Amino acid sequence: MTTDPRLVQAVDALTGWFSAVSVEVSDLSGGVTALLEHNLGGKAKVDKAALVGVDDLAAEFLTRNSFAVGAGTFFATGSVNERSRPVEWWIRKPSGAIGRLKFDLTPGSHRYYDYEKLPFFSTAVSTGKQTLWGPYIDYLGFEEYILTVSAPFWVRAHFMGVVGCDIRLRDLEPLIMPHLRLIHGDAALINASNRVILGNSGRYLVGERVKSETPHQPRLALDVPYLGLSLIYTARPAAS
Amino acid sequence: MPTPFQSQIYRSLPEIERADAIVDRITKAITLGLLKVGERLPPEAALSEMFGVGGATLREALAELREQGVVETRRGRSGGTFVVTQPRTQTDTIRDWFLATSISEIRDIGDEHAAVAAAIIRLACERAEAHDVARLQELARALVLATSPEGRAVADSRFHIELAVSAQSPRLANAEMRLQEETVQQLWTPLAVTFDPEPATAEHLELVRAVAQDQPVKAGNLVLDHIRRNIFHLIDTKLTLGYARSNQDTP
Repeated sequence: MTTDPRLVQAVDALTGWFSAVSVEVSDLSGGVTALLEHNLGGKAKVDKAALVGVDDLAAEFLTRNSFAVGAGTFFATGSVNERSRPVEWWIRKPSGAIGRLKFDLTPGSHRYYDYEKLPFFSTAVSTGKQTLWGPYIDYLGFEEYILTVSAPFWVRAHFMGVVGCDIRLRDLEPLIMPHLRLIHGDAALINASNRVILGNSGRYLVGERVKSETPHQPRLALDVPYLGLSLIYTARPAAS
Repeated sequence: MPTPFQSQIYRSLPEIERADAIVDRITKAITLGLLKVGERLPPEAALSEMFGVGGATLREALAELREQGVVETRRGRSGGTFVVTQPRTQTDTIRDWFLATSISEIRDIGDEHAAVAAAIIRLACERAEAHDVARLQELARALVLATSPEGRAVADSRFHIELAVSAQSPRLANAEMRLQEETVQQLWTPLAVTFDPEPATAEHLELVRAVAQDQPVKAGNLVLDHIRRNIFHLIDTKLTLGYARSNQDTP
């Protein structure tokens, strides 16, 4: 069906870019799993001692992946010992330094960040797979307009939480826009809920939802497992 | 040569006003829970850079906050300036706000809020998805479940802020946060007439329904009525506190 070489090139490039992100998140998940397996010994619940080195993994992730502005682990509240913090999240500060992001994790408090209810966590839990959430305003979290790619992880068959990374929409734009601009005509990368992540013109604006599928708006799924990404574009009448 | 107006507008700010503004900002942030008890403020150098004030002004502001007992500065390796207590009861501060704010200003806050809220609700209708709707329903119910005026203020503002979040516009969300910060305490602190959380909750739920059904016109009218009702309540409170009817006037 798709013969337009520019479209193929764009899809390949976008698929390659998000696959690389997906692999990085899998690697982080693998690293955190292995570290916790080692640190926990036979213990069931994560305590302070079990978290030693988890911060380094997040910091290394951010150093290696300049596209990401935050990375780390959100533990399921049931998987941690009462006295250890259930979030290990690291961010790139405006100065470029890497530091911990603190959240209000006290239920009922004014700024309670109930992350277990947010889709980057809950979808990863319900599907058991890597997932992509956003664009969304991460109110009470990082408080920016971001995408989150996250993956659930288990230690000895016990569900532990999710690892993931945040990508700011404004950082993503220059990275993937050149690929979208290869396409002649209006095109947009959309997420699993038909929300525009980025479009190559004013027709599809980031954050808007594409509600109806018209015959002139074909869709190509990107072959990146579980992230639910696809490309929509405006089919042009065949050139004579 | 600057006109008299210009020289009035652009006159340099007295240092004392800037220190007061910092005290005000931090106090408000603690009241709203944006800064928590136990939390450490950024280092002084960072603070003065962020506020854009000199070190002396900043230290003056911190000294004032220490005097009020709101923050405490500890020395040493794990030292810094920490939030140690909620500022004194807000009722007096809010009463002062009503006395100092004219009805025309209250109406004007309502005008701005109506403009922001109308844009937010229209975009929320277009952009919200199932997850947002479920969350907004939960936040709407939290208002009627809250057991204190403070709890109601938090629940009310959180509903409106997350409605703005579902509209996907960081700027509108910021505008909504600022407007909530400006008025939500006034709305729920029982000073003259107590504000009833039940109709407010019902209105919030109706708004969520209109968003879920993508009915922007209906949602737009609902949100304007909702804000108008809030503003009437603020004006009622202002009238009761500021212009108590004198009984001697009755013939």
